[in-house]
Amino acid sequence: MVETLRQADNRAIEEAGYFEVPGGHLYTVLHAVEDPLARVLLVGPFASERHYSYIPWVRWARFLAARRIECLRYDYRGVGESTGAFEEMSFGDWVEDVRLLADWFKSRSGPAPLIVHGLELGAVLAAKNFDAGVGDALLLWAPPASANHALRSTLLRRISVDQAFRYGDERRPASSYIAQLESGETLEVEGYRWTARLWRDSFDLELPQGMDDEHAGSLNSERPIRSVKLGRQETPLIKGSSVGWEAISKDFSDLFEDNLEWIIDSVSVHAWGNV
Amino acid sequence: MTRDIETREAIEVPVTGLRLRGTYHKPNMGTQASAGAAEKSKVVGLLFLNHGFLPRAAPGDSAVGWANALAEDGYACFRFDLPGLGDSDGEAPNPMLDFVNGGGYAPVVSALAKQLVERFSLSGIVIVGHCAGSVTALFAAPLTRECHGLVLTDPYFFLPRERTRFRNELSEWTSFSRLGALASDLYYFLRHIRLLMRRNRPPWNANLPLLRCWNQLASAGMPILVLKAPALRSRDFKPRIGEFDYLNYLRAMSGARSRVTMEFIENTNHSFADDRGRAAVRESLEKWLGANFPARRPAGSERSSQAARASTYEALYPR
Repeated sequence: MVETLRQADNRAIEEAGYFEVPGGHLYTVLHAVEDPLARVLLVGPFASERHYSYIPWVRWARFLAARRIECLRYDYRGVGESTGAFEEMSFGDWVEDVRLLADWFKSRSGPAPLIVHGLELGAVLAAKNFDAGVGDALLLWAPPASANHALRSTLLRRISVDQAFRYGDERRPASSYIAQLESGETLEVEGYRWTARLWRDSFDLELPQGMDDEHAGSLNSERPIRSVKLGRQETPLIKGSSVGWEAISKDFSDLFEDNLEWIIDSVSVHAWGNV
Repeated sequence: MTRDIETREAIEVPVTGLRLRGTYHKPNMGTQASAGAAEKSKVVGLLFLNHGFLPRAAPGDSAVGWANALAEDGYACFRFDLPGLGDSDGEAPNPMLDFVNGGGYAPVVSALAKQLVERFSLSGIVIVGHCAGSVTALFAAPLTRECHGLVLTDPYFFLPRERTRFRNELSEWTSFSRLGALASDLYYFLRHIRLLMRRNRPPWNANLPLLRCWNQLASAGMPILVLKAPALRSRDFKPRIGEFDYLNYLRAMSGARSRVTMEFIENTNHSFADDRGRAAVRESLEKWLGANFPARRPAGSERSSQAARASTYEALYPR
C-alpha cells in the first residue's frame, strides 16, 4: 500500500470557495480526491507569513492530493481571501475556525482518518484543537512555544525592515514597538493592524504540554503526534518575510517525502481502527 | 461551501491549458440590480495582478481592500493569480525575475483579460500592476485590445538581477554601518558622474522592450496612472543620486497625446500596505477612475447591512 501511495496521481480537483462562520466567510481550497486514504486539514501560518509561505504550502497540498490524501487549506478569519476585519479577530476565533472546518471536513463522504496539520502559529491552533479531541493525528511544523513567540519573530523582522529605511536617531529599538502594544495602542505590522488585545492574548495561547518535542507521543499515543522543527533551509515555508525571488522554486521534496511517510504510517498503524 | 457570496465569487478561467484562480468582487449596482443586470450595464473592470510572487491578496491584503472599495463604487474588480503563483495551476517560472522582466506573463494576462471582458460583458479592462506586476501589465497592454487603461504602482524599468548572498550582506553593511554608508554614497556619486557623461540616456541595464511598450501606449493616448512610493535616499519622484530618472525620462518621451498621470505618495513604503499607502492608493484610484472611466452605480444604491458595514469599515481602514 505504501508504494501505491507514494506514486503521484494528478487527478485531484481543486475547489475554491467560502465556508460560513459566525460573522464572515473563510476562504477555502479543497484538494478533493476520490476514495481518500486520509484527510489533512492544513492550518497555515499567521497573517503576513501566509503570503511568503503560500507557494510551498500549496505545493505540499498538491503533493498530498496526488497521493490520495485529501487536503483542505484555508485563510484565517480576517486574513487573505477570507472576509472580516483582521483587528476585530481574536485567537478564539481562529481556534474556532479550525474546529468548524475539521467538523465539516470529517463529515465528507468516504470515511478517512483526519490529520490536523499546522505550520508556525497554525501549529498552535491545530494543537489546541487536537488537545480538545479534534482529529485522529497531529502534524506540527515549526511550532512556536506560544502565539507570542510567533508574533514576536514576525515583529522583529518588521523592525529590521523599518530600520533599513531609517537613520541614526530615527531608529527605534524593539522594546519601543512592544511598549506601544503594551500601552494599549495598535501597531501596523506588514499591513496588519495588531491590537493590544491580540498581543496580550498571544501570551495565553500556548502549545499544549509535550507537543514541542520532536518525538512527542509518536509511538505511545493513541493518536499519533509529530512535531518537526524547521530551520533556515526551509525558507520560505517559515521566516518567509526575508525571502527573495530565488526561494520561489525551492525543492522541498525531502521534507514532503519524509512527512508523507509519517502520514502513511500513522494512517496504517494508528488511525484506521478509529474511523 | 459555496463559490459565491454576496460581494465576491471565487472564479476560474482556463488559459493555455491551466486553470487560473481568482476572486471577482461584484460591482455594487444597487439592490434592484441582479447579477445579469449588472453585467449588461457595461462597467469597466479592473484586473489586479500579483505583487511579485505573492498571492493575489497582496501584502497586508491591501489588494483585497482596494478591490472591495472599488467594487462598492461600481467597478467590477478581479484579482488573479498568474500561473505558478497563489492558487493557480502551474509551476513558478525559474528564474522568475528574468521571465517577468522579459514579459513572460504578458500573453497569459492578455488572454485572461479578453476572457473576463467577454464573460462579464465589460466595456473594457484596466490592468493594475505593482512592481514586477507593473512590468507584466505594461507588456500585456499592447497585446490586449480590451485594455483601456493601466495603473502602475512603483514600477521599475531596468533589469534587476537576483541578489546574491554577498550582495545582500553588502547592502546590510551599508545600511547599518557608518563606514558602509560613506562607501555607498561614494559609489552612487561616481555613478552620478557617469550618468551625466551619458547625457540622460538610459543606462546599460534599461529594459528597452519595456520602454518601447510604454512609448507605444503613452503616445497612443492610453490613460496611465503611475503611483510612486518613497525609495531609499530619494526625494519624491527623484531617484537616489546616481540612479537614472526613468519617470522623468518617460514623461518627456510620452508625447502630446499622452494621458499619463504620475503621483507621489508620501510616508508609505514600497508595498503601499500600510495605512497611509492603502488610503492614498485608494483615493488616487477613485479619482483617476472617476475622471477616465466613470462608474454607473445608481444613486442611493445599497447593499445588505453586512456589505454596508464592510463599506463603512473600508472608509476607515481600507482592507
